[in-house]
Amino acid sequence: MNANDVIESYVADVAVRLPRRQRNDVAFELRALLNEELQARAEEAGREADAAMATELLRAFGQPADVAARYRPALTIIDPADGHKFLRTAVIGLVVIWCAGLLTQLRQPIGSASGLLGALGQWWLGVVIPSMWWPGVLVVGFGLAAWARRRKPQTPQWQPRAADRIHGGRAAMAMGVVGIVCGLSVLIEPRWILDLFWSGHAAPAAYTALTYTDTFLQRQALCLFVLVALNIPLFIAVMAHGSWSARLRRIETGLAVATCVAMAWAVLDGPIMMAPDSDRTAKFFMVLIIVFVLIDMAIKLLRSVRPAPKRQVRA
Amino acid sequence: MGDTDAFGKLELELRRGVVVLATLSQLRTPRYGYELRQALADKGLPIEEGTLYPLLRRLETQGLLKSEWKIEDGPPRRYYALNADGRKLLKKLTESWQGMNDAMGRLLKEDGQ
Repeated sequence: MNANDVIESYVADVAVRLPRRQRNDVAFELRALLNEELQARAEEAGREADAAMATELLRAFGQPADVAARYRPALTIIDPADGHKFLRTAVIGLVVIWCAGLLTQLRQPIGSASGLLGALGQWWLGVVIPSMWWPGVLVVGFGLAAWARRRKPQTPQWQPRAADRIHGGRAAMAMGVVGIVCGLSVLIEPRWILDLFWSGHAAPAAYTALTYTDTFLQRQALCLFVLVALNIPLFIAVMAHGSWSARLRRIETGLAVATCVAMAWAVLDGPIMMAPDSDRTAKFFMVLIIVFVLIDMAIKLLRSVRPAPKRQVRA
Repeated sequence: MGDTDAFGKLELELRRGVVVLATLSQLRTPRYGYELRQALADKGLPIEEGTLYPLLRRLETQGLLKSEWKIEDGPPRRYYALNADGRKLLKKLTESWQGMNDAMGRLLKEDGQ
């Protein structure tokens, strides 16, 4: 292989990565320029150009893929500003999918080591590999968002907002109070709904389905209903104050934690409803509420900002 | 080691910032790639060929340069020169560069005292 062959090979490797319409023209120019560069090197070295000299020149020129990329405008699919958000969302989503899939696999009876390996194999093939749809969806979503921002760069200007504002204003809070009152009315006596709609003529099974067990009524019911009811004075205080103060936020968090503990106690302590099906449904929704509250608290904790200088460790 | 790395990266960023202006400044008259690289190197700003040659195509795609193939005592060569938009941009960038250069001169002089 002589110096010309080396240059031809390099030019072909670069040109094949370029759009068809400019490929041949760039290849012709690049070959001429590289030949001139090589000639200059040979004159400087005082000897004929050879394959080794050409290879050295081209290695300094750059990898063909990098050089081809330099011929084209930079292509950004995900905006650099979204890079960390994309990575975080992708990793969290994958971990959730993988863990949920693993738990589902491990819930099935596994009698031996080979059974465990089989379950792991099913998890790998049935959960892990198909889960790649999630980063794919994210790439499309973030890519479309970046494209839209480039198409319409005049995105809404940043606006300052008070951290303690009431979401939805006082009207939303008033609606919340009405919702809690209605919800409590139903929770305290669920059979009231049957009387309201069927005037006391609903099937006996329906009444049984909506009847609390004596254990629940004697142990957790009062505590749980009082905790839910305490949200009413809290919301009224927020409306009167006009915003969330630090103290009101602390009370809200305390109430949420206490309610979660009471619900967890109720779920673990035994049947809540007389009918097994409605008991399962009630417990499912309670667990769902606990999970949502805990996720919300975790997100608030992660997103909290308390400006303070970093402590320096003195030697 | 860390200082050397940081210097290398920061110097590269500085050079990237001036490469376009330096290239445009040497294309008031038509030049082909190798000739342009020599002109820049002779004036104290060597630019790697792997950076310069693709840059010429990108500037042309952006509508700042015009180019044509010519045969003058040698193989066919593609000559690049500023077009009207390129000249306007060069004027603006030159003013901007001179303003920054003056400011940096003052800043670095104060720092050195």
